[in-house]
Amino acid sequence: MSRPALLSGLSPDDRPTAIAGLFILVILAAGTGYTLSKFGNAPLLQPGYLLQQLQIGAFLGIVAAGMMLVILISQIDLSVPWTVAAGAMTATAVGGPWAIPAGIAVGVCVGVVNGIGVAYLRIPSMIFTLGVNAVMRGLMVAHTGGFAPQTTATDAMRFLAADRTLGVPHAIFMWLAVSVFMVVLLRRTAYGRAIYAIGNKEAAAYLSGVPTRRVTLLAFVICGVCASLAGMLLAGYATKAYQGMGDAYVLPAIAAVVIGGTNILGGRGSYLGTVVGVILIVLLNSVLSIMEMPEAGRQIIYGLVIILMLLVHGREGGA
Amino acid sequence: MEQFLVLAGVSKRYGGVRALDNVDFACNRAEVHAVLGENGAGKSTLIKTIAGVVQPDAGTMTLDGKKLSLRTPQAANDAGIVCIFQELSLLPDLSVADNISIARPPRRFGLIDLRAQRRRAEELLAGIGCEDVNPMMRVRDLPLSRRQMVEIAKALGKDPRLLILDEATSALTGADVERVYAMLARLKASGVAVLYISHRMHEIEALADRLSVFRNGRHIETFGRGERSPDQIVQLMIGREISAQFPPKPPRAEAPPMLEIKGLSWEDRLHGVSLTIGRGEIVGLGGLDGQGQKELLLALFGVLKQVSGEIRIGGRRKTIGSPADAMTAGRQTGGASGGANGGQAGVRSGGGIALVPEDRKTEGLMLPMSIAENLVIASLGALSNGPFMNTGRERVAVADAISRLQIKVGRDSDAVHTLSGGNQQKVVIAKWLMTEPAVILLNDPTRGIDVGTKQEIYRLLRELADQGAAILFYSTDYDELIGSCDRVAILYDGRIVRELEGCALTEQAIIAASLNLTRTEPAHV
Repeated sequence: MSRPALLSGLSPDDRPTAIAGLFILVILAAGTGYTLSKFGNAPLLQPGYLLQQLQIGAFLGIVAAGMMLVILISQIDLSVPWTVAAGAMTATAVGGPWAIPAGIAVGVCVGVVNGIGVAYLRIPSMIFTLGVNAVMRGLMVAHTGGFAPQTTATDAMRFLAADRTLGVPHAIFMWLAVSVFMVVLLRRTAYGRAIYAIGNKEAAAYLSGVPTRRVTLLAFVICGVCASLAGMLLAGYATKAYQGMGDAYVLPAIAAVVIGGTNILGGRGSYLGTVVGVILIVLLNSVLSIMEMPEAGRQIIYGLVIILMLLVHGREGGA
Repeated sequence: MEQFLVLAGVSKRYGGVRALDNVDFACNRAEVHAVLGENGAGKSTLIKTIAGVVQPDAGTMTLDGKKLSLRTPQAANDAGIVCIFQELSLLPDLSVADNISIARPPRRFGLIDLRAQRRRAEELLAGIGCEDVNPMMRVRDLPLSRRQMVEIAKALGKDPRLLILDEATSALTGADVERVYAMLARLKASGVAVLYISHRMHEIEALADRLSVFRNGRHIETFGRGERSPDQIVQLMIGREISAQFPPKPPRAEAPPMLEIKGLSWEDRLHGVSLTIGRGEIVGLGGLDGQGQKELLLALFGVLKQVSGEIRIGGRRKTIGSPADAMTAGRQTGGASGGANGGQAGVRSGGGIALVPEDRKTEGLMLPMSIAENLVIASLGALSNGPFMNTGRERVAVADAISRLQIKVGRDSDAVHTLSGGNQQKVVIAKWLMTEPAVILLNDPTRGIDVGTKQEIYRLLRELADQGAAILFYSTDYDELIGSCDRVAILYDGRIVRELEGCALTEQAIIAASLNLTRTEPAHV
């Protein structure tokens, strides 16, 4: 296996993370070079700007955390967009102290349905979760009558998403909490071992007594909860829930997980990589808009970067 | 008789194994030629070589006086060599007619002529007495026996000059077998050469004009029908020196039963299997490949659904619905603590069933994961405190397992696929020993493993039995069954046809029972 000298000494799991990290520096350097030459200042390196990017990244990051779990067991969850929206809409509609528990409950329900469909009925997750997404969308449209809901986010939702302590937005703490949970789950628990085992070879895991169906069900539940949590935070940040608020999350979440080095076929990947992948995607979007790149160009560059990162990882995976 | 197909000095190696060793072989036109041999004697490789599926390392083949060089199965078909393999080659979601004409569909204006294709399927099916099969049906919807007949019709559609049947009758019902016999008689009359592989002696006696015996990749002898008695044929099939060394068998006192199986049935693969294994006993499962041995092990381990019959462990009746159930089946107190109250008490799952599966690469191991992760995967509950892994105890358990089985590893964090086959198998076994099972099921555990590791595994099994485990051990290697088992149960067609023990446990007896030669024997014991 040939590898860049700079990256030798890293374990295969950490290398994609390091590469994505280097790429983040490249993006920042390119963006700063552009602003320096054009405006004579470097807003990209201001703490305020970086914190704002992390706040925006927190929503994507929480969605990607759940998605990573599902991808690690060789599945996919395409019901994320309307789980995000349904979590947010339910929470704002319920309001009061029960807003957040109600939103979480929506995530649990979607996860249970997905898990039963995939693990017990053995329907391919790509189809099943897509169907669940459509059903959720229908339910929400029926619920709101097709208009944007009039209800607004509760104070607690706003506190968790938009308020700041010592200048740091609380959404970042939420992301941090989810991240700690994920790292412990994947590295330190029997459940985490089972996740990697199933992703590597489901038959071997099953024949080793791993309760593969329960593990799969729980992965979808965690993914659903993450999505609904992200939806509620997003509603808190925007002060209200709206139709289609989750549409911009599913593909970037998958991209972030894969850019971070998680094998799209499951079984391999570290959580830190997913965090770095999220930051890369958020920064890339932001820097391209600062550089006043037209929309078409932004889409092309965004797509090319994802393909480039995958090519780099794919070559390592083939070794 | 003119010689039609002639092989001279053909050899084929797979790694260190000589599958074919300097084989000279010939078969004639208008003749059914049976090829006999034990599992692993080289029959399959012989056929694959003739059918162009594998290329020989050395030697020449001539067909009808012309030298043959077959790079692909298609080239063999073009030369008139058509093979019906035991694994069906049909595409289940296409129609019967599509399947029969898959390689060369009749065309009209460059497009497939569906009507002609259908007619052709009807003709071919009628030729083997299967007019009742509708050519427009999907193959998936046909019963197994009919699928096999479609496979035969497909082969006949290629106008064979040499037809090879490899266990082609194993899935057939009695009536279909008769149809195949009639078809073979007609082919023979029209001058086609037939190579016939079967484990069913009475079929061979009924069909074959000449017989060839293979052993250890060598062609031992060819003779005409009736020139040898079945006993002599069996003797020819064995006749090899016993090479592996086995630990001595201790004299057995009557042991309390650990595993009792009563009337176990599953689909049409297991028919009322009853067997009892005592504490400290090693029982072998013998018989030819595919007589239900694997299914029996999988049924005991909870992998198969809708198994009927009764399983008792340590005298208690158990319902085993999944491998997870099987692993905890021996636990004396119902669902005591579920492994949640960790700490020093050391909640071992202990006393359940373990299965060393057939294919270690896809069923036994997660190859890209580390040796340590593979070793502990069946013991996650026992090595956790609540939901959290106890990394200290985990390290100790991994180190113990590696030293106990003398697994040759660099670091236990290396991926398990970096190990040799023998060491990989040791990881699978060590993984299960960590659960302290009361019943150990093994599915051909020494396949593809070097002799040294084999001997270590035999010694280990005896050691585990001496510590009180009940061991059920399927092997395709008769030496191994005789050398390492206290008792061997022979399966034939999903039934135990005989149990052999003590001095009755000979290779001769195993083979005779495997071929179900004494057909007066009751169907179950």
